[in-house]
Amino acid sequence: MARTTAFQFRAGDSIFHRLDPLTKFAWVLTISFLAFGAYIAWVQIIITAIVLITALVFAKLSPREILRGTWLFLIACVSFFFIQTLTLPGSTEILRILDKPIYMESADYALASALRIYTIILGSLVFVRATDPRELAIALVTQMRVPYRIAYAFFIALRIVPTIEEEIKIIRSAQAVRGVDRQRGLMGRIRETKRYAMPLLVGALRKASTMVMSMESRGFGAYPQRTFVEAPQMGAGARVLCVVMLCCVLGWYTALAFGFVHSFYVFAPS
Amino acid sequence: MKMDTVTLTPAPTPPSGEAAAPKPAELLVEIENLTYSYEGEIKPVINGVSLKVREGEFVLILGPSGCGKSTFLNVLNGTIPHTLKGDLKGTAFVCGKSVHETKVAVFATEVGMVFQDPDAQIINTRVRDEVCFGLENLCRPAPEIMLRQAEALAFVGLSNAGDMSIFDMSGGQKQRVSIAAVLAARPRLLVLDEPTANLDPAGMAEVFAVLHRLNRDHGTTVIMVEHRVDELADLISRVVMMDRGTIIFDGTPREAFARRRDAHSEEAEAVSISAWFPQVSEFALELAAAAGTDLAPDQVPLNVAEAVALAERLIAAPSMVPTGTVEPAPAPPPPETRKPLLSIRHMSFGYDKDTPILRDISLELESRSIVALLGQNGSGKTTLAKCLIGINPAPKNSIYLNGKDISDLGPKDISAEVGYVFQNPDHQFVTDQVDEEVAYGLKVRGYSDAAIAERVDEVLEIVDLARYRARSPFNLSLGERRRLSVATMLVLEPHLLLLDEPTIGQDHERAQHLMGLMARLRERYGTTIVMITHDMRLVAQWADRAVALSGGRIAFDGSPTELFGLPEILEGSSLMPPPVFEVSRALARRHPAKVPAATLSVSGLVQSILG
Repeated sequence: MARTTAFQFRAGDSIFHRLDPLTKFAWVLTISFLAFGAYIAWVQIIITAIVLITALVFAKLSPREILRGTWLFLIACVSFFFIQTLTLPGSTEILRILDKPIYMESADYALASALRIYTIILGSLVFVRATDPRELAIALVTQMRVPYRIAYAFFIALRIVPTIEEEIKIIRSAQAVRGVDRQRGLMGRIRETKRYAMPLLVGALRKASTMVMSMESRGFGAYPQRTFVEAPQMGAGARVLCVVMLCCVLGWYTALAFGFVHSFYVFAPS
Repeated sequence: MKMDTVTLTPAPTPPSGEAAAPKPAELLVEIENLTYSYEGEIKPVINGVSLKVREGEFVLILGPSGCGKSTFLNVLNGTIPHTLKGDLKGTAFVCGKSVHETKVAVFATEVGMVFQDPDAQIINTRVRDEVCFGLENLCRPAPEIMLRQAEALAFVGLSNAGDMSIFDMSGGQKQRVSIAAVLAARPRLLVLDEPTANLDPAGMAEVFAVLHRLNRDHGTTVIMVEHRVDELADLISRVVMMDRGTIIFDGTPREAFARRRDAHSEEAEAVSISAWFPQVSEFALELAAAAGTDLAPDQVPLNVAEAVALAERLIAAPSMVPTGTVEPAPAPPPPETRKPLLSIRHMSFGYDKDTPILRDISLELESRSIVALLGQNGSGKTTLAKCLIGINPAPKNSIYLNGKDISDLGPKDISAEVGYVFQNPDHQFVTDQVDEEVAYGLKVRGYSDAAIAERVDEVLEIVDLARYRARSPFNLSLGERRRLSVATMLVLEPHLLLLDEPTIGQDHERAQHLMGLMARLRERYGTTIVMITHDMRLVAQWADRAVALSGGRIAFDGSPTELFGLPEILEGSSLMPPPVFEVSRALARRHPAKVPAATLSVSGLVQSILG
């Protein structure tokens, strides 16, 4: 029985699911722009909280689903936080570890950096779990005037991700049975990638070939246009939301440009 | 799932629900002296093929892997030469259009293509979207598309599945979605390339039922490549046999299955085409030969009832004298009665705590036995097998391998005792050369170079790959790759070997060859083989024990003969007995003196009939 992968669309009836795909896409972009702009922790804490509330309340993802999708990144972000805290320079010393000073500014910056990465990953998870890639492709064609062949290429790339993820798991299991250990170090990783690459490539080419034949045999690409029977529409509420999000991003970068934001810190003194 | 009795409204006439009126059979496929070689290759895959197919025919194409049958199907909608380039010579007209001059998309309303792997051919994630896809590409108006998709889904028995996610469907359901997706465009010709290869017997029956209704009630022409002929034989109207790119037989099913013929495998070995005969035909041929009578083509049975009738005629014939020698079915060596090789005690397992896949499994496996692990798609067979090799972490104190708790053993400890042959051999290859591939497992276990060289030579001889030792594994044929993947396990002399679907993507001959290897392994090293399979003929022929899973629980554990006599277990596990079992059971009921008990082998049945 196949397991569903974490980064895979699941149908649902949450508020976020019901939003049209372009508005959801705009939400991810907004979160990313907001997160990228600031190097201080309090802003990132607020943005992370907003994304977390969206995930739990508006997209109805369970804490378990969130953990399953992001645990690897969570570990990476925590490690990243500690490494940066220990290594970055600063001026206000909090404590010393093995005679090495730890600074408040370093901790603040490290927390901001770690949260920024996590926020973007979490935002992407919410988007992928709640957005049918096909609807997104259709919205790109019908609302953004993207040629449908390009939009479908984008959709199929998203559609095939879980299949490849599943294939990698199978290859890893199949090779583990042979006594292949997980490799360490750069050369080990290169050897491991090479071992996975060949069977993955052979399988992917076979699948891609069938997919192309299946699409062409059903008339894909026969005409410059095609019908979309259920094209998603952006409602008035969604338009307002998009305008609000645009204002937030513009306002945010304006505030950054005028230095209004970087005057208050969580760990470091303001 | 029970099928709805829904009809499709054919594109022009007749209207829905009306019986198909007899009409002059038009030539849909006209192929003359067709030769094709893939781009960059000199040797033709199809060589001088000529074939005419009339509207309303149901054509089955048979032949060994690599004979060119799938390539031939790709010509029928112009995939060759427009998508798959190469050198195509000869004339080919399908639905009145030349494939040389007609683009694939133009054939979309005339020729529907269904492929082997539903996961690769389904483009969309929601059922309704998939069925609408073709008509949307053809710029049909939305109301017409919605009407036709509803009809197509109803026809394949999935009326209420429009909003379902493809990821939540079984293999049989997915393949029915694929058929609905092409039916929505009302093709006159349906072309299918092994559509049931990945399906359990119930899924296969669903697909065949849909095709039968489509052909019988709507006159849709069907051309299909398929190895599972038992359930198909009396649905088809014509059989075409191919060998090395040419057609070696073209006629009715009864003519086709009335005589054994030879073809050639990808490795150029001679194989008997009777390997793909329906088992009832095989039985009739063997019975007639042993009884010294000739079997006219019109006497060849295509289903169980006909086989029973034929056997009764022969039983009643006073002149019936056994002439041929019937090979008695080899008795499997008895399993060793000592402490079990593997014990599973009340094991439950699931990837998520809330959704257990395996529930309270208890099982003991002795040495030197072949065990079939059966059940419908999603019943937990592969999950259980992965627990036995340590890919899935078994709960503590639930699996004991040679008396040791498997959860305390490392991957190398487990793989020293247990081997696993995956469905797709490509997944297991880790080196660039055949001999290195076989040597790999020994190297990681620290064997000396001399010992490695000796064992690699020995195993390559056993699997008949010594001549390819310097080749890349990926340059071998599918059958050779499968043998190589078995060799990589064989060389480690495991006490337990797990085979995941050994017949998927393999023709019958190859599966037989593989099982022959397994039997030798059992004889030589006392290995226990556990095979996950949907192939009931394979089970009947090779397994001495069958374990059926249903809903993650063991529904049956006993001999295959006993299993095939329990209809409620078979139904619950989506299994079907092999035809010879049903024939023998029917004969045993009517002639208890002649046929005392149901049997699983053709030879065994013939022997008991002839006394």
